[in-house]
Amino acid sequence: MNGQDLLLSVLPKLNALAGGIFLLTAFGLVAIRQMLTCLRIYVFQSLLLAVSAIILGYHNASIHLYLVAALTIAFKSMLIPWLLRHTVGYENYAKREISQVVNIPTSLLIAVAIAIFSYCIASPLLVAAGAGVFEKINLPVGMASLLLGAYTVTVRREAVPQVLGILAMENGAFFAGVSIASNLPLIAELAAAFDVLIIALVMGLLAMKIHQAIGKTAVGEMIALREE
Amino acid sequence: MELIFILIISSLAAALSLIRVGKRLAPGVTLLGTLAVFLLSWRAALSTAAGGEVIALRNWISCDSFSALILLLVAFVGLVAAIFSWGYIATTVEATDDRKIRRYYSRFNLFLLSMLAVPIFSHLALVWIAVELTTLLSVFLVSFESTPQALEAAWKYVVLTCMGAALALFGILLLYWGMSFSTQAAFTWTGLIAAAPKMPPVFLHTAFLFILVGFGTKVGLVPMHTWLPDAHSQAPSPICALLSGIETTTVLYCIMRLLPMFQNIATSYASRWFIIFGLISAGVAAFLLIQAKDYKRLFAFSTVENMGIILVAAGMGGYDAHFGAMLQIVSHAVTKSFCFFSAGITLLATGTRDIGAIRGLIRISPLAAIFLVLGGLGIAGAPPFAVFLSEFSILKAGIINGQYLVIGLLALFIVVAFFGIMYQINRMVFGSPDIILIEARTLFGRPIISRRKILPVTCIIALIITIIPVILFGIYLPEQLYQLLHHAASSLGRG
Amino acid sequence: MANKIIFNVIQVIVVMAFAPLIKGILNRLKENIQSKRGPSIFQPYRDIWKLFHKDEVVSEHSSWIFRLTPFVVFITPIFVSLLIPVLTDYPLFFAFMGDMLGGGFILALGGFFATLAAIDTGNPYGPMGASRTRMVGFLAEPVFMVVFFTVSFIAGSTIPYIVQKYWVTPLANFFEPSHILMLLAFLLLILAETGRIPVDSPTGHFELAMIDESKGLEYSGRGAALMKWGGAMKFVVLCCIFLNVLVTPWGLAHGVKLWEVLLAVPLILAKIIAFVLVLVVIESSLAKLRLFRITEFLGAAFATSVAAMITFLLLM
Repeated sequence: MNGQDLLLSVLPKLNALAGGIFLLTAFGLVAIRQMLTCLRIYVFQSLLLAVSAIILGYHNASIHLYLVAALTIAFKSMLIPWLLRHTVGYENYAKREISQVVNIPTSLLIAVAIAIFSYCIASPLLVAAGAGVFEKINLPVGMASLLLGAYTVTVRREAVPQVLGILAMENGAFFAGVSIASNLPLIAELAAAFDVLIIALVMGLLAMKIHQAIGKTAVGEMIALREE
Repeated sequence: MELIFILIISSLAAALSLIRVGKRLAPGVTLLGTLAVFLLSWRAALSTAAGGEVIALRNWISCDSFSALILLLVAFVGLVAAIFSWGYIATTVEATDDRKIRRYYSRFNLFLLSMLAVPIFSHLALVWIAVELTTLLSVFLVSFESTPQALEAAWKYVVLTCMGAALALFGILLLYWGMSFSTQAAFTWTGLIAAAPKMPPVFLHTAFLFILVGFGTKVGLVPMHTWLPDAHSQAPSPICALLSGIETTTVLYCIMRLLPMFQNIATSYASRWFIIFGLISAGVAAFLLIQAKDYKRLFAFSTVENMGIILVAAGMGGYDAHFGAMLQIVSHAVTKSFCFFSAGITLLATGTRDIGAIRGLIRISPLAAIFLVLGGLGIAGAPPFAVFLSEFSILKAGIINGQYLVIGLLALFIVVAFFGIMYQINRMVFGSPDIILIEARTLFGRPIISRRKILPVTCIIALIITIIPVILFGIYLPEQLYQLLHHAASSLGRG
Repeated sequence: MANKIIFNVIQVIVVMAFAPLIKGILNRLKENIQSKRGPSIFQPYRDIWKLFHKDEVVSEHSSWIFRLTPFVVFITPIFVSLLIPVLTDYPLFFAFMGDMLGGGFILALGGFFATLAAIDTGNPYGPMGASRTRMVGFLAEPVFMVVFFTVSFIAGSTIPYIVQKYWVTPLANFFEPSHILMLLAFLLLILAETGRIPVDSPTGHFELAMIDESKGLEYSGRGAALMKWGGAMKFVVLCCIFLNVLVTPWGLAHGVKLWEVLLAVPLILAKIIAFVLVLVVIESSLAKLRLFRITEFLGAAFATSVAAMITFLLLM
């Protein structure tokens, strides 16, 4: 078993490891109490996305995926955290407690249930498509991260974790995308990357405006418009 | 080629609006830009009315009859909104705040650009990006007034619609994966229809559900509609017209484009979901209408209801129902813009959005009252307005098809909404003139000192221009428009 | 056959003899990292010797449970060390008595008796600590179960020797993603079960905050010595399970000769000391969690173990 074969047999396992830790980071966004740690977990999640893209790029011998990985690292691991740090304002990140609608252990249980649910939805798809070993990990984990990001948005009351939840949803969709839609035209990938950047920019600026208007970014407490 | 010009002109207008020269440059550039865009879209629509396609870049930028219809509507509402904005923004924003006015117009143009891009692009990934951009470029328009309520509305808007867009992205990626089962098809709407028979059904179903729920959030389908009444009422009135009249319509266009994919396989699957979501949206919105306290929210709920009606019509299947759906799209777009314009001048005349605070509008400002009543009648579906004709054709098509339960429920919801809208508007318009302001209200951050007796001329002009199609399409459909609707309806498939 | 019995006895003697040494090394390293000198690494031996020679004082309100518990706490780790791979990688004479689940239950038996005894004396701090210990234990149960199930599912057996072989041959199996995630979950579990920071402070003297230490509060003389020794042995046994089955399944004696088995002794000690070093670094960099945050800590361990299980199922 020479080095090349060993590498090829280890690649699926490395990808699966990246997928497993990706799932863990999605759980982490639901459960972590401190704002700055949430942001770091998001950066780590984006790095894992890049790792998976590189592994798949090596496996498919496609430069395209390497470019995707480079885009991910540049935009999601560096630009977006910088944007979020500088638009929302430092004092919000010093918070050690984020208020939530549901307490953390229950949230974790619901998150586990969501992960199992997305696995159940993804299985018939994988069976019908005769999926390879990479899609088997990326699709369910991506879907789980998508749904967990949506859950994070509903459960957290602060602005920045909600932004991170939406960005995590996009991360999940891309994590699934690098394996199932790996040859999307480059224009689409570039535009999608810029799109995520604009999301972060817009939401960061809006959060800053909210902070200026009401003195804090607890958007879950803004209920003046609810009438029903 | 027109299509590329449309995109270029709009972006140019956005850039030019930022130039710091005089007060009239920004609104003037916007007006000229939207006029040019409208003329170009008219040309494109005429080309497709004969049944052909306008192609700028094969598989990337092209328009068939359905997309040309949407393009025409976007351009029309954009034009009248630009005319309306001229007077509205000049009156409501402080005269010295030039920067704010310029920012409004550049954001207006960018927003319009993104909405124009949705029907123009035919590659699905680009369509998704355009839909996402319609949200992102309109957030700061929704929060234009910078009051806490406007900010709250903008936050809910951006969060919920971005969530929906991420779900839809996942669905689109699944479709892309499914396309790999058939060779050589391009990832466009027509390519999907060609590739659909070879995809495993579970792919189509799962992707369809993700896209329906995801884009449905942007359309305002219940239960994902919670952001819509807030965002569509807190924004300035011309922007409300853009949001309600065309933004929701363009995303609904994307959802309806999924229908032909199912025509060979399990047709009933997609149709069933359309009917379910459509009926629930129409019903919930009709009942929520009755207790609306703010007349812009009233119109926003009516948007949800109309989106539901269009979706039900698309789901019912058959050429007649699809024709009715297309007609409803047209009539809703022009009528809803008219309603929001009349709401805008009512706001200028009275200084409050609260229904309970206004009484006897007809004596306070007769012009505003007349337009408001016309708008209310129009959107509620009274003859001889356009919405009546389209709703009637939908109901007729349903009865011919034999779907009595669906039609019964739909008719019930339409009647409930009719009474809700007319009741609220009558409360405002008739009676002894009185405006009860509970607290010192502010309009755009300035306290109300005097209400405007003289409404801006351009607002009136915009209202008159908009009411022409509202009344016209209730009586007579021009031949070209009929052809356009005919081809658009057939493109939805036998259903 | 006779060899196997002798090896089993040697295994037990190794665990019994070196447990206080490991404890001493752990305490000293903790002090060293904080730039203090720390007690001698043989101090626990001297403590146990001293306690054995002291009188025992027993509350008159206590029952036979109080008198029995030190023996239970001392003997249960010895039983478990008969079942798990400590020195050899093939099952020894008594290994038929139980598998991993059985070992877990026997350790839990010791904890059960310790909890009962803490309530037995009528000291107010006893039941407080006992209830907290039970809370931690009950929250750790699902994690134990999921980790054991996943490990057994992957390796195809619940016997630790077979599981341990699975990771070694072929080598690629070691890098199974679920394996690595399970390591993480099990590490969090060990932190909870042995009462180390961030779950509990083993060197705290404040009875109101004690969780695990409270079980030994009331004992004196011989009872205290047995409780201390038993606690140290439980720690060594858990380390052996963790290291020999999951983390480093190498370095165990393969053949049946005596010298091979004796050679494995310093190897296992080296492995445990390396793990102790990692533990000391973790302990010195984290702060103790507030009581109600322990649920989140164990919830995170549960989520990690479920993620491990899901990753394995996905790859199947």
